[in-house]
Amino acid sequence: MKKIKIFQTLIIGLLLATVVSCTKKTASNESVLNLAVSSKVKGMDPIYSNDRYSSNEVARVYEGLLEYHYLKRPYTLKPNLADGMPTVSADGLTYTFQIKKGVMFHDDAAFTNGKGRELVAEDFVYSIKRLADPKLQGLGYWLLDGKIIGLDEWRAKYAELPKADYTDEVAGLKATGKYTLQFKLKKSFPQFLYSLAMPFTFAVAKEVVEKYGEEFLNHPVGTGPFLLPRFEQSNKITYTKNKAFREKKYPCDGSPELKAQGYMADCGKILPLTDKIVVNIIVESQPRWLNFQKGKVEYISVPKDNFEAAIPDAKNLDPKFVEKGVRLSVTPSLDVTYTAYNHDKKLFNNVKLRQAMSLAYNVEESNKLFYNNTAMPAQSVVPPGIAGHIPNYKNPYRGSGTPANIEAAKKLLAEAGYPNGEGLPEISYDCPSSTTSRQTGEFFKKQMAQIGIKINVITNPWPELQKKITNRNVDLYGIAWGADYPDAENFLQLLYGPNRSPGANGSGYNNPEFNKLFASSATMQDSPERTALYEKMYRIAAEEMPWIYGVHRQSYTVVNGWLKNYMSTDFEAGQGSYLRIDLDQKKKLLEKF
Amino acid sequence: MSETKTQKSKSLWQHAFSELTRDKLAMLCLTVVIVYAISAIASALGFIGADWAKEVGPSYAPPSGDHIFGLDIFGRSVFDKMVKGTEVAMSIGLVTALISMVIGVTLGATAGYFGGKIDEFIVWFYTTFTSIPYIMLLVAITFILGKGLVAIYLALGLTSWVGLCRLIRGEVIRHKDREYVHAAAAIGGGDFRKLFLHILPNVLHIVIINFSLQFQTAIKAEVILSFLGLGVQGRPSWGTMIDDAKLELARGVWWQLAAATLAMWIVVLSLNILGDALRDALDPKLKGK
Repeated sequence: MKKIKIFQTLIIGLLLATVVSCTKKTASNESVLNLAVSSKVKGMDPIYSNDRYSSNEVARVYEGLLEYHYLKRPYTLKPNLADGMPTVSADGLTYTFQIKKGVMFHDDAAFTNGKGRELVAEDFVYSIKRLADPKLQGLGYWLLDGKIIGLDEWRAKYAELPKADYTDEVAGLKATGKYTLQFKLKKSFPQFLYSLAMPFTFAVAKEVVEKYGEEFLNHPVGTGPFLLPRFEQSNKITYTKNKAFREKKYPCDGSPELKAQGYMADCGKILPLTDKIVVNIIVESQPRWLNFQKGKVEYISVPKDNFEAAIPDAKNLDPKFVEKGVRLSVTPSLDVTYTAYNHDKKLFNNVKLRQAMSLAYNVEESNKLFYNNTAMPAQSVVPPGIAGHIPNYKNPYRGSGTPANIEAAKKLLAEAGYPNGEGLPEISYDCPSSTTSRQTGEFFKKQMAQIGIKINVITNPWPELQKKITNRNVDLYGIAWGADYPDAENFLQLLYGPNRSPGANGSGYNNPEFNKLFASSATMQDSPERTALYEKMYRIAAEEMPWIYGVHRQSYTVVNGWLKNYMSTDFEAGQGSYLRIDLDQKKKLLEKF
Repeated sequence: MSETKTQKSKSLWQHAFSELTRDKLAMLCLTVVIVYAISAIASALGFIGADWAKEVGPSYAPPSGDHIFGLDIFGRSVFDKMVKGTEVAMSIGLVTALISMVIGVTLGATAGYFGGKIDEFIVWFYTTFTSIPYIMLLVAITFILGKGLVAIYLALGLTSWVGLCRLIRGEVIRHKDREYVHAAAAIGGGDFRKLFLHILPNVLHIVIINFSLQFQTAIKAEVILSFLGLGVQGRPSWGTMIDDAKLELARGVWWQLAAATLAMWIVVLSLNILGDALRDALDPKLKGK
């Protein structure tokens, strides 16, 4: 009896000792990056990563040919798994990549001897065919739809057959050598390279896909900086550092403004800079916010409802956060909110009417009411931060509620043929049925009433609004657009006549001059000439007022003092490996929490 | 002389009236409902609350001496919005209760009185009708009719008559073989006369009680519909005010929620108490209790 008791005490004591030593070790030596995300992750298969949350997770394990330079703004592509940027043929249709040598997949039972093998060009051919495989119904095919020679045909062919044959060659997608990959495009598409930086086209290994079959979604095996042996649908995903990660270094070049802010301190260090990433999935904004306040999460974007408490003057953090070493990172988002006219209606072909309505709309006030005064009034269609935006351009038809604006608007309205709104029918304004959208509609109605235009606000469930826009059963509608890739083309296409709905141009704006400029810029590579064309279109879109522009939003992120190298970005995929935890500082700062 | 005479032959209605006037709480509730009705009419005629859309101060100004319920996001008076909301709520309560009363009484009385195939058909119709979830039917009707007050009147009216219809049908079946009905038949009264002049007055108390309860159900339904974004468009209603408050609460703006909830709570409670008192006064079975 006694003997057993002693034995028990010993075991308990031992257990306790291990626990204590373990926790101690975690606290002092291991650098763990704790993140909070607001949505469940669908899985770890690149071809299904069509939302921001899934693609961020996929990009911790998998990598692509290209990535965005971490320290360059405007966003610039740089090679990742590719060994240098591709060579492009003179006609701009053939892209030839060299793949980095010696890049290894993570160790996994699917490979011979369980050791990860080297990545070759054929892996990309396989991965992109997987994206096109009609049987798998990948969610990113739109990206390459109609772009690569033979790929659409390959996809169409196997839609009818029971199983896609990956050995069946596609003319436009070939590994011409062990490390050489060649794409042939149907027509010039300068934005093509951006699609190679999106997680959809990241490299997977054939052996792993075949071994795990449907379970592949939960068995991520890539070449990336972090390992996740098994993905489980839970509220916590824990990644560990890939010790065999190739020698990838923190960049030593970048934009001067980022250099000035001290983002280059880690220049030349081997990535990743943390041992572990813990992703906490916290759907509700309030618990997320509380976790941040306790120091359990490294950074979080400020929930709208807590904005005033955190950033009382809309510029600086509340002192109680500053004391704890928290800093605020404000970055413009690549987006634009707008109220579109339905250009199919004769009424809105009247430029002066459009200009008058825009002048009567007080954008400053709407910024104050709906964005805590943090957004930037949009002057035209392209947001700041990408080529094509003209920095100090002031749209002459932008209203800010001054008596002069209202006078000018009334004058324009009279010139348009509707003095004081007489002769104008009641105009309907369609918006989604969320509270904020309805309030935006009410605000719009109030603004238009100032110059005698009657607006009828109609709220719709989101799918119904989409349908109404596609069927062109609207007069005006309020909506927003966020960038798919950092190119003004992604915004300007919204006004390109031939793109009318069901394409992206929901307003049906059709201006031959604009169309001509767009068509000629669409096949041009990034160059000053193309930027000049973009800017020309920017000006047309400003003066013609095909929409009433709203704002370009900004993201407000609070960051704990011990997290280094963080900045908010529109393209977060792959960011995790650049972030560093300053453990000493964390210890010190945590005492203040 | 005449006084003693009326006392002797006090009718059901006179009994009920004196019963009701003795109930102080019920009278208070009646007064509240009347006040609501008057403010609704005054607001419809533009005497009060007409300036609800005017900006009278800064966004989200808290309640003060000038603005008893504070201001909303656009600096409009929450009190004026509440008053304007009363107009919407009362009109919806009234029209909806009327529609459901007309349908319910007509179908219920017809089914109960004629029986047979007609009864079977009407019973089949309303049981089928009620098997459709209530809110889905409302949504479907607002989608067909478009959005606006008329759609809500119809949507709520058309979905709320079944309960009354059942009650009336049962009562009419109970009454139609009573002696007074046979007596009416004996002196040559036709179906119409028997049903509407003899039976109906005897079941009218059910209609009245139901009306007052339907009234407040409709008010609540309107608030829910507006909260879901299916309700009144372009004018204030208690539902849209509560919908606004959903987001405002996080920044500490409670007055819009308070104003709308208070206004609704008072009128719904009053109508409920009044309905109960009416039943006590009118239901012959409860007489003398």
